[in-house]
Amino acid sequence: MNNELPKEYLRFNVVERIQHVILFTTFLLLTFTGWALKYPEITVEHQRWWITMWGGARTAGIIHRVAGITMLLDFVWHVIYLAYMLSTGKMKLRMNTTIIPLPKDVFDAIKNILYFVGLSKEKPKFGRFSYIHKFDYWAVFWGMGIIGASGFFLAFPVQVSVLFPMFTVNWIWEVISIMHSDEALLAIVFILFWHFYNEHLRYDKFPMSMTWITGRITLEQMKHEHPLEYEIEFGNKKGADK
Amino acid sequence: MRRVLPIVFILLPLLCFTCSASADTFTCLACHSAMKGNIRTEAGALINVNVDGERYAGSVHGGFNCLVCHKQFSSNPHEAVKDGNIPKNIAAIASKIAHKAKADPVALAACAECHEEAYKSLQESVHGKNVFDKKQSDGALCTDCHGSPHYITPKNTATSLVNKKNIVKTCGECHENEELAKKYGLGTHILDRYYESFHGKKYIIGHPDAPTCVNCHNAHDIKKWKDPQSPVALDNRTQTCGKCHKGATKKFVTAITHKPLGKDDPIPYWFEKMLIVLLLSVFAFIVGHVILEAISEIRDKVFKKGKGEHHE
Repeated sequence: MNNELPKEYLRFNVVERIQHVILFTTFLLLTFTGWALKYPEITVEHQRWWITMWGGARTAGIIHRVAGITMLLDFVWHVIYLAYMLSTGKMKLRMNTTIIPLPKDVFDAIKNILYFVGLSKEKPKFGRFSYIHKFDYWAVFWGMGIIGASGFFLAFPVQVSVLFPMFTVNWIWEVISIMHSDEALLAIVFILFWHFYNEHLRYDKFPMSMTWITGRITLEQMKHEHPLEYEIEFGNKKGADK
Repeated sequence: MRRVLPIVFILLPLLCFTCSASADTFTCLACHSAMKGNIRTEAGALINVNVDGERYAGSVHGGFNCLVCHKQFSSNPHEAVKDGNIPKNIAAIASKIAHKAKADPVALAACAECHEEAYKSLQESVHGKNVFDKKQSDGALCTDCHGSPHYITPKNTATSLVNKKNIVKTCGECHENEELAKKYGLGTHILDRYYESFHGKKYIIGHPDAPTCVNCHNAHDIKKWKDPQSPVALDNRTQTCGKCHKGATKKFVTAITHKPLGKDDPIPYWFEKMLIVLLLSVFAFIVGHVILEAISEIRDKVFKKGKGEHHE
């Protein structure tokens, strides 16, 4: 048995990385082209300049729709991929490696915040995904459900309208447009603060964590950031580490 | 002499600008292009006596002799002639809209001579009926939307008041007016409501297909929405919306109402409030978390170096 420790650990395989690249590319395109419609009445001149950069209102609209559908397909691909990986046993559900939120995550969050304000002496020990990562990940599911579905309704209003029960038709469109626009703002703010801080701005990651390209993290980093996963993967090789 | 000289200087360039206009036109403009300001008519209305010769020459009517429309004023100056010189249909219209015209009802009616069809539509519209039947002076006739006939330019030019870029604002001249809204029981803040709608947002950012007021409500033959002939009457909406949205259904056409988003209906209202609460609480959590974490990272870097518990 080889007791040598590798230098790096493959955190995300190539399929996961491609899914991530498609996700953020379409997210940025959707944000940029959709932004002009968010507050058009406030700064007309600014929005005209912005929308011209995206080829005018018609082109921006086409980009927005194509990017939206690509993102939804990317999401569907991800869900099918997960189902495949779990059913073939290539991915296992374990307490310390799963992305599924557990009670531990709530305690981790409380403990971490207590640490931030100096009320706890040590940081919580995270598994493969900390509560920060889980929040980041499931926010996408929330966004796909709310923004993706409402965006799909808005893109094909005539076809979709037949699905609505008659008693909803007087307010459903209002609800859908509020859903799309307010939740899109939430998604943008979320990515701007949560994801950007945790994966780009932190002093040890600035300007960004390279994991999205290489899929790898160093063992040092893994031990520090994901000690419980490290324990599972390399725990029995502790002797070799020192 | 000192008073006359500037007038001569103003008139000289006019010679060139109005060379396309007829001699009669020039006779009128000799005074009217130089005169500035308003005069009060016998009826008490304040009218602007100035006609900008240059802009007139550049308008679609620039080639006309003034008397084509101002049929009353054939003899010099402004002496009303016998009715015989005025076509019967124009005279009939003029008598019906006299209460609306500030200065020259015949000229206001004269549009009907060339634009017969449009005028007929207008007469049967809610705007026209208000002037012709209800004898109100604030109903819209030709000039209220198209501006002064002296300066009308083609619809596709930027200076046209009914150009796609200007038409919404032009309708808003009256439909944003709170007094008129009160008097006729119209909805208020119609423009804001339009700008908030899917169509209005697209219009603002300059989408070429974005519909304006007239695409759904019609122009000359505009009717009250309750009128079964109106394109936005409940029974006609599937057809009207179907012009752009092929296969529009009864359930689909409710999407556009010009209702302010989340203000009239309780369900969208509370739904939006709920989303705002969600948005603000998530926002507060993530921003607070990020700020606290950043501060603690700095604290650890500065004060706890080498204590081992933290990174390096």
